[in-house]
Amino acid sequence: MSTADICRISGLKRTTLAQQLVRGKVAETTVVSISRALGLNPAESLANFSTFADLTRLAQPPTPAELVSQVATMDLLQAVITRSAADPKDGSGTLRALSPAPHATSVRNWVDAIDDGELRHRVSAATGVAPQNYSAQLTANRLSPELAVATSRAGGVGLTGGLVATGLITEAEAGWPVDARQSALDALSDGELVALAGERLQALGKTLRRQEQEQAQTEKIWENLG
Amino acid sequence: MIVTALQWSTFAVCTLVALARIPSARRGENRPVFYVLVLLMAAILLSIEEPYDAIDGFLGGVNVANVVLRFVGFAAVFFLGLQIAKGFSAEDARRFLTGPVGIGMGVLSSAVVIVLFLMMDTAGSSAGLVEVAAKSGRNRVLVEYYGAAGRLYPAFVLLALLPAMIRTAGSRLPLIIRGSAVSLAVGSVAMALTLGFPLIPPGLGCWRFVINYTGILFLVLGLVLIWVGRMAAKRRPRSQPAGTSE
Repeated sequence: MSTADICRISGLKRTTLAQQLVRGKVAETTVVSISRALGLNPAESLANFSTFADLTRLAQPPTPAELVSQVATMDLLQAVITRSAADPKDGSGTLRALSPAPHATSVRNWVDAIDDGELRHRVSAATGVAPQNYSAQLTANRLSPELAVATSRAGGVGLTGGLVATGLITEAEAGWPVDARQSALDALSDGELVALAGERLQALGKTLRRQEQEQAQTEKIWENLG
Repeated sequence: MIVTALQWSTFAVCTLVALARIPSARRGENRPVFYVLVLLMAAILLSIEEPYDAIDGFLGGVNVANVVLRFVGFAAVFFLGLQIAKGFSAEDARRFLTGPVGIGMGVLSSAVVIVLFLMMDTAGSSAGLVEVAAKSGRNRVLVEYYGAAGRLYPAFVLLALLPAMIRTAGSRLPLIIRGSAVSLAVGSVAMALTLGFPLIPPGLGCWRFVINYTGILFLVLGLVLIWVGRMAAKRRPRSQPAGTSE
């Protein structure tokens, strides 16, 4: 199969792929796109590269905290409402389907879910990435695949969690059971669920307030200097 | 040659930007910035030989036009400083510039400019007082100090705003605003460097012009960037903030 064929079936731009091949540095997203086009499992394809060598070999199921971290904030709130409205004898009530991972703050929520307090230091020590650069990526809801795997290693969890949280691969491709997130969500006690939703709401409120502040500052600059 | 080109192109840039702003100024949007640009235009015009000679001739041919130039510069930088302080939320800098120290600095610079001017033999129009300085050793020294006094207040105002510019450049505001803050900061540093002109050896005199006009160009560029950013922001409606679109 030629590179032209690969580009055609995977939807990659030919110039992009050619450039990456010339530099000898093919992006993880490229590997994932091509794997999907060829009907291969992206995680297994990534495992062919040394950085991700133990990706599938050491596959372990995600922890409940990781699973819940990949539930969108609005879905968590929905769960709170559904539970409070449901007949106590009826159990979990009727839930709408969870929106697929990743969500707007999935990367930070995932790192928080596996963080024992020292995680960021260990990742920084292992990769040489400065803590403030790491934090900046989390705030932007991004994490390079290499850092995501390094974070999993440092957190002692399955290596695919970060790749799901960053949206590089899907839950199914990572081998997560279809209803894993829903089950983990259902397994939370009311107290745990409400506390978690509260934390998420607080963080969302902080983000929105910051954005509003920045918007106000921008308006002020347009007003006075524009 | 390079110097003349730099002077005229700075003037052209200022004029174009001022002209482009006439419609919005007529609507009453941000007139202060328009006035600042007009003042800058006048200042640049007065520092180019041909227009200077014409205007100074009209004013009596004793280089009063050069004093006018200094005060036009002071006024431009004062109003520009106030707008920057307001825009960049630098309330402390605004209070500093309009407080006793800031106003005192303006008055002091003005007084020194006038006194030194009166002490010189200023007959004969000469842009930048080049020929006035060449008349005698005493005049050369006086012109040097006179120039320094004229650059002191602008440098003072812009340095007072430098922290606010750097803060804005490092903020998370839109890229075009941060770019404009960088441009304003570069311009301000260049204007502050003009205080070191007496240290530049006579042979490298053209550096004076390069630093001076680069300073003005970067300041104007900073204003242009903000203006462009505002127009772009008006044209496309604001995107929904992340986190609410779930």
